Amino acid sequence: MDLLEPTRQAFALLFGGDPELWRIIWLSLWVSVAAIALVAAPSIALGFLLAKRRFPGQRAAVVLVQALLSFPTVVIGLVIYLLLSRRGPLGSFDLLFTPWAIMVGYMVIAFPILVVFTISATQGADPRIYETARCLGAGRLAASLTTLWEVRFGILAAVVNGFGRAISEVGCAIMVGGNIAGLTRNIPTAIALETTKGDFAQGIALGFVLMAVALGVNVLLALLQGQGGLR
Amino acid sequence: MSAPLLALRGVRKAFGARLLFEIERLSFEGGGAYVLVGPNGSGKTTLMRILAGLDREAGGGMDFRGEPAAFSAYPERLRRSIVYVHQHPYLFHTSLRHNLEYGLRRRGLPAPERARRVEEAIAWAGLEPRRATPPAKLSGGEKQRAALARARALEPELLLLDEPTSNLDRDGRAQTLALLAQLRDERRTVIVACHDQEIIGLAGFTRLRLDDGRIALQSG
Repeated sequence: MDLLEPTRQAFALLFGGDPELWRIIWLSLWVSVAAIALVAAPSIALGFLLAKRRFPGQRAAVVLVQALLSFPTVVIGLVIYLLLSRRGPLGSFDLLFTPWAIMVGYMVIAFPILVVFTISATQGADPRIYETARCLGAGRLAASLTTLWEVRFGILAAVVNGFGRAISEVGCAIMVGGNIAGLTRNIPTAIALETTKGDFAQGIALGFVLMAVALGVNVLLALLQGQGGLR
Repeated sequence: MSAPLLALRGVRKAFGARLLFEIERLSFEGGGAYVLVGPNGSGKTTLMRILAGLDREAGGGMDFRGEPAAFSAYPERLRRSIVYVHQHPYLFHTSLRHNLEYGLRRRGLPAPERARRVEEAIAWAGLEPRRATPPAKLSGGEKQRAALARARALEPELLLLDEPTSNLDRDGRAQTLALLAQLRDERRTVIVACHDQEIIGLAGFTRLRLDDGRIALQSG
């Protein structure tokens, strides 16, 4: 297969300002960013609690969240589809086949990633952080926030991973978004569709964008860690 | 006669069936400097952590300024009065200024007062040349001095220092010893747990020995 010509066409699409292509890119970006922005705070808080507090059922809760990590995204999509469909319990919100449904899916997919990464980051945190904060007069909440700040690069890695998983997810997005042109078609669903149609140019162009986004956020993370320069 | 700053009552710490120590009664006077000695494993650090509210599984309690408190229900307000410095102090990965300001912010001090105390703390600890250095890049002795200055800046009623000279080189030890002597001269109430003979030998420190589950004043 000749890859040169489709790649040339891909760059022409990207830099020629193809409106359909850029609408797809914009949808992917804002839905992924919004999903992570909404799910990050509760997930990080839960991860911190599961890592630092002892309570009955804590171990079972950790195992459950870890199990969610390996759930197929199409199954997550199916559950959300059933919930949001007309006859489903949340059908009255009329969210199915809208970007909001994709956003909900992304939130569910990113949730266990954020929780598990936060558990890992805070379990590895030096116990003196919390103790020092408490000894200096911080309340429990302030000392917990100080601990999270001290492991901020681990938390940032959690956010970056959650974002990466969301923006590249295809199964759930197709099921609850429907891959509708101009409305819910995003980068991964468009790649899947265009490739089956044999239109590789758009698929390659969008693939480049996905890789650029993945590279960009990871370079940003590395730069931030470098600026911290403290570990 | 005025009441002691701190009076321990029936302090008891055990790990399962093994009793670590039991202290019937012990008083610390305000403005006094105390050094707590004892062999490894005698419970010096554990006692300091109990007094700082970091170990709530100890039995007994204390009177602080005449107010009773149980260790199992350590009052939050005491965290503003009693400050503990770890054997290997932790400095937050921010800046030296932020570290020195941390507890002052928690106490709601206004910005000008915080700035004044931070500058005074930097000068007191002799850290002026290192004010722009990230805390992680300070030497062991500098970290120890920064932690002492951070605790002192809060003007606590009781300072608990755990092995402040352990793992320091000769210069670091000498500088930390000088700061301890200053705390004594400033009439801060301070309890230092240590093995360091130079601290133990510092004039003006009352020596207490924790050994075999009991604590006693040590003469000489």
